Amino acid sequence: MTQFPLHNFAGLTALVLHRSEEPVRRVVERCDRLGIRAIPHTGDLDLGTAEQADMIILDIDTGHDGQLPWDAGRAPVPLIGLIGSESPGRLAWALGQGVDAYLPLSALGNLFSALVIAHETFARKTQRSEQDRDVARQRAGRLDVIRAVLALMPDCGDEALALKQLRAMAMVEQISLEDAAARLLTERQPSRMGG
Amino acid sequence: MTLRLGLIFSTTGSYAALGQGALAGALGAIEALKDTVEIEPSICDPGGDVTRYESMASELLDDGVRHIVGAITSWSRKEMIPVLERKDGLLWYPCPYEGFECNDHVVYLGAAPNHHVVPAIDWIADSGMRSAYLVGSNYVWGWETLRLARDRLQAAGVEIVGERYVPLGSTEHAHVVEEIVATGADCVCNSLIGPSNSTFLRDLMARDPARRGRDGHVVSFNQTEADLDTLGSAADGLLSAGAFFEEDADPALVDAAARFAPNARVSAFLASAYAAVEIFAAAARTAGTDAPRKVFAAASAHPHLTAMGEMRIDPVMRHAALAPRLALAKDGAFRVIDRAPATIPADPYLAHQRQADRPRRPNLKVVT
Repeated sequence: MTQFPLHNFAGLTALVLHRSEEPVRRVVERCDRLGIRAIPHTGDLDLGTAEQADMIILDIDTGHDGQLPWDAGRAPVPLIGLIGSESPGRLAWALGQGVDAYLPLSALGNLFSALVIAHETFARKTQRSEQDRDVARQRAGRLDVIRAVLALMPDCGDEALALKQLRAMAMVEQISLEDAAARLLTERQPSRMGG
Repeated sequence: MTLRLGLIFSTTGSYAALGQGALAGALGAIEALKDTVEIEPSICDPGGDVTRYESMASELLDDGVRHIVGAITSWSRKEMIPVLERKDGLLWYPCPYEGFECNDHVVYLGAAPNHHVVPAIDWIADSGMRSAYLVGSNYVWGWETLRLARDRLQAAGVEIVGERYVPLGSTEHAHVVEEIVATGADCVCNSLIGPSNSTFLRDLMARDPARRGRDGHVVSFNQTEADLDTLGSAADGLLSAGAFFEEDADPALVDAAARFAPNARVSAFLASAYAAVEIFAAAARTAGTDAPRKVFAAASAHPHLTAMGEMRIDPVMRHAALAPRLALAKDGAFRVIDRAPATIPADPYLAHQRQADRPRRPNLKVVT
């Protein structure tokens, strides 16, 4: 069955970062109809304020890195970029910030679509970051796997059987091979020190 | 001043009866208003061919028409939107639809999902039915209304025992009827339109006559009097949700139906198209121009008294507030069994709906 993305935003809060009154008014009233509390914000943003919101709707025309309290591409909540000018420089800035969805100011009637896309893109990005961290951690644990295999070899006879033994331990404990290796080395450390 | 108005309805083709009803409403209003405002209609019939709506709208706009009352299906409305955007026209759309749209060149006057799917599904859940089968025409109306129905039914603890879609206009649905009989579904949520709908209901009744007359064994979110006659006695017991039914019609609507509708029936299609013309005419007079933005600003500035009652159009979401009703079909007519006491703003994105808080506790009382 199709899994639907988040499509009900009632009760959520959005910060609206835009200098002009008219676009802010239009975004705020449209958010209101979608059940979203939209709060206009001018000037630079602090991280605490940003993290209390569920999303940020920002003006790409005037946005700059100094305005946002995070490293480019590391926003803590979904970003929806309002496109006024289509200059490549402004779009490059927005892409560098990892804006999750874009909406021309002339098409605010499609705000709902932009919200759905932004939240789904942000969720996938977060999931991908977690996967990347897992991969990095696995790579960092390769040396432990080699050390654990070497530690098991005297009892197992050869490296293939030692690796098989380590896999069995990981399976029984339902942890990764790298975590099993690290655990084995930790457990064996005192006896090595004592012996 | 003379106002020009395009009327694009398929009065021939597979869902002609709905187009005929809506066209009759628009023509009835134009006739009724002739002493106060002259409206020159340009009538187009795409014949149910979705590819013709865009070109017909384009020709009207090129000819200086700025306002169109038209379209029955969402597919045809979506076909016209790009040309309305490009050539600055305004579509007054008088039909129930599935929601999830809010275009700056459309005014939505028909029922939104919180006016039809939500009350109908809540009625099913309240009625104690435990299983439902979903069947719809294979386009956005069927997909989206049945998705909403599925979500809300499941939340209410009603089991979905099957879900099928048939091509728009198709009458090949023997497999659907057999599945319904085999699953013994308490209720069929039916989002078929046109001949698919009429042949399906007749076939279902012939195959499973035990269902006949049981209230709400088939539920529709858009069945109206416009094509009720084509269903015959197969419609008996059908529950429909909508913004208007014939028993609430005032003399103006009855007169419009008698003069302009081939079947002389008042339906939500007829009433909404009638109201669309009334609001358009009043707003254009207030604005002193037919410039779409100014007309819409005047239309949404305050409620308008129409043949359907007082109508307010939300200036942001561009939808009409309507009073939803539930009605049961019997002997070729609908009897309203539940009527909202006041109009309810459209909630096209269902942002403000509480999930049905069911399964409900049994209605028990202490007996001493």
